[in-house]
Amino acid sequence: MNKRISLLLLIAILLGSLGVSAVSAQDATDLSLWVFVDRHGLFMQNQAARWNEVNPDRPINLTYEQIDYTQMHDNLLASLLVGMGAPDLADIEISKFATFTKGDIQLIELDDAIEPYRGDIIETRLAPYVANGHNYGIDYHLGSFVMYYNTGILSAAGVDVDSIRTWDDYIEAGKKVTQDTNGDGTPDVYMASVETSGVMTARGIMLMMGGGAYDAEGNLILNSEANVKALQFVQDLVHVHGIARPTSGGEHHSPDHFLDLVEGRIASLWMPQWYMTRFPDNMSSQLAAVEVIRPMPIFEEGGYTTTMGGGTGTAITNQIDPSKIELAKEFLAFAKLTYEANVALWTDLGFDPMRVDVYDDPALLITMDDFSGEVPFEYIKAGLANVAPEYTGPYYPEIATIMQTTMMYELIENKKSPQEVLDAAIAELQAMGADVGG
Amino acid sequence: MVVFLIFKVYPVILAVIMSFQNFQGVQSQEWVGLTNYQNVFNLVRFNQALANTTIYTIGTLLILIPLPLVLAVLLDSGRVVQSTVFRTLIFLPALTSLVVAGTVFRLILAEDGFLNLFLTSLFGVQPLRWLEVSDLALPSLILVATWRWTGINILYFNSGLVNISKDLYEAAVIDGASAFQMFWRITLPLLRPTTLFVVVLSIIGGYQVFVEPFILYTGGGGPGDGGLTMALLIYRTAFTSFNFGTAAAMGVILAAIIFVFSLIQFRYFGVFSKED
Repeated sequence: MNKRISLLLLIAILLGSLGVSAVSAQDATDLSLWVFVDRHGLFMQNQAARWNEVNPDRPINLTYEQIDYTQMHDNLLASLLVGMGAPDLADIEISKFATFTKGDIQLIELDDAIEPYRGDIIETRLAPYVANGHNYGIDYHLGSFVMYYNTGILSAAGVDVDSIRTWDDYIEAGKKVTQDTNGDGTPDVYMASVETSGVMTARGIMLMMGGGAYDAEGNLILNSEANVKALQFVQDLVHVHGIARPTSGGEHHSPDHFLDLVEGRIASLWMPQWYMTRFPDNMSSQLAAVEVIRPMPIFEEGGYTTTMGGGTGTAITNQIDPSKIELAKEFLAFAKLTYEANVALWTDLGFDPMRVDVYDDPALLITMDDFSGEVPFEYIKAGLANVAPEYTGPYYPEIATIMQTTMMYELIENKKSPQEVLDAAIAELQAMGADVGG
Repeated sequence: MVVFLIFKVYPVILAVIMSFQNFQGVQSQEWVGLTNYQNVFNLVRFNQALANTTIYTIGTLLILIPLPLVLAVLLDSGRVVQSTVFRTLIFLPALTSLVVAGTVFRLILAEDGFLNLFLTSLFGVQPLRWLEVSDLALPSLILVATWRWTGINILYFNSGLVNISKDLYEAAVIDGASAFQMFWRITLPLLRPTTLFVVVLSIIGGYQVFVEPFILYTGGGGPGDGGLTMALLIYRTAFTSFNFGTAAAMGVILAAIIFVFSLIQFRYFGVFSKED
């Protein structure tokens, strides 16, 4: 009899424990996320685990799905259009974001979730994901522009990398570095490479000179004086100073271009900080012994020291169960904007964080074998003195497409004047229905 | 039948309806008459896309009809060893994933890639920047198309050749006809239905080309939009500008172009054969 009772008790305990675990699993709120970069998904899952430690009473069960870049955005657009099939949260790349804020916006406002952190972050980083005055996305990084130098090439030409402070210094150094080594009449080593089917080279300079696609008030400023000057500067690097060449394959992610870097045909380039990951990932760390990171050269004392490039905002779609909205918003801000999250942005993802107060955290100030054993973050930080903001607007995706397809190509390959290519872009945007002002 | 109606007929009707609506972003749609069609002709890139697509289609026709035809005749003549391996090799490109093909062609067309190596060593031509120069975008795309479709077209022509009675050739040989005369007087006229079929298919395929430039130029129209096709522009208008109305109008225009071309083909060939 006793045996039977103890057996029943045992079964009861077992069932009970199963029940408890079933209940706790039920209590965890399921959140789904679409990403196009697997590392983003892993990062968010780590953040969910951290959230569960801090908030054991409101656990989250985050599952993510990684889909190819184009397909993910197209699928998301289609699901939002038909009103079903979208995930709770989704990554939207910066140049696609404005596509998602056309018509009735199908994303959830994040204003109140971001509010507690506003004072701690570089606020202009939120600007790309603002529509009608409301925030709809939070980025993974600051994406500040830095200069990548191959010190092997520089030293061989007698240039000390730390002597380059201004763009004038850069051009002077470039003239020493750019060389025709095999005597066929054209240089084989160039100081820089300029993208003809990518946007970063030009956009970085445009923003640092105070230009860009839109201003803070949402006006289209593509053909502004600042942009004309910026494009002239880029064109001159190639055609007047002769220190830059059009990027092999057209943009800085083409395999041809990586080969140029590895084989020492390009001495430097400016790209956002996240381009650091390309050195181990796409170039098998072959430049580890010579590559260093330095702040962007400056145009004038007191001017902008860098700007931001690229980015991906995580948004909450309106197809989320209404009861989960508050939790999802709180979690999203927690995963991207808290101190610990920003340290993790560097340690887990290798991205420069948007919170200023983590810049002195020992976790960020580490040496890296891929960059000559230096502490890259010291130099990234040094460049953040005066970050030029980037604003986006309804035609930001179209502007990116125009820059990628014809603008830079006409400017560099066909030597058209900056004013001409910018006016052509404005005319094209106007034909699409954009309000081009004046 | 139901499946056909849902997945084929319904989208077509919907696209036509959408082409008369203001359909930008997620919002209630309103009727706007022919505004979308006006917008299409105002778009700076539309003419460029139409011209590019037409040149591409003509280019593929000029290569993808004579080349497979001659190869099919050669194969059929029995003068070439016809092993299964050989036939499979010819057909393989059509089965290869275009994503893989795109990547491989990016390497082949690179400045220090295989094609330049081939041209330089054989003809002493200076290396060309196939993937970076606007004017070389369409030739690059036609090259990919040639690689991809030659095998399939050989197959079509081959099946046509099988149906030509061998008696005709034997009679011609007795009459003292040369190989070229036999090709010109017997093979070509009797292959007309097959040729018509391949031409129409090539025109339809040519005007609809999307994946090749999409993969070769990672989602874009290539340098200076030199490889921008109609289908790419439709895609861009729908999924970058989120303007389904104008995109649908463009789709209707593209369908009309293909329809007219096919009609002309059928009529021309039809009348031609009656006169024969």
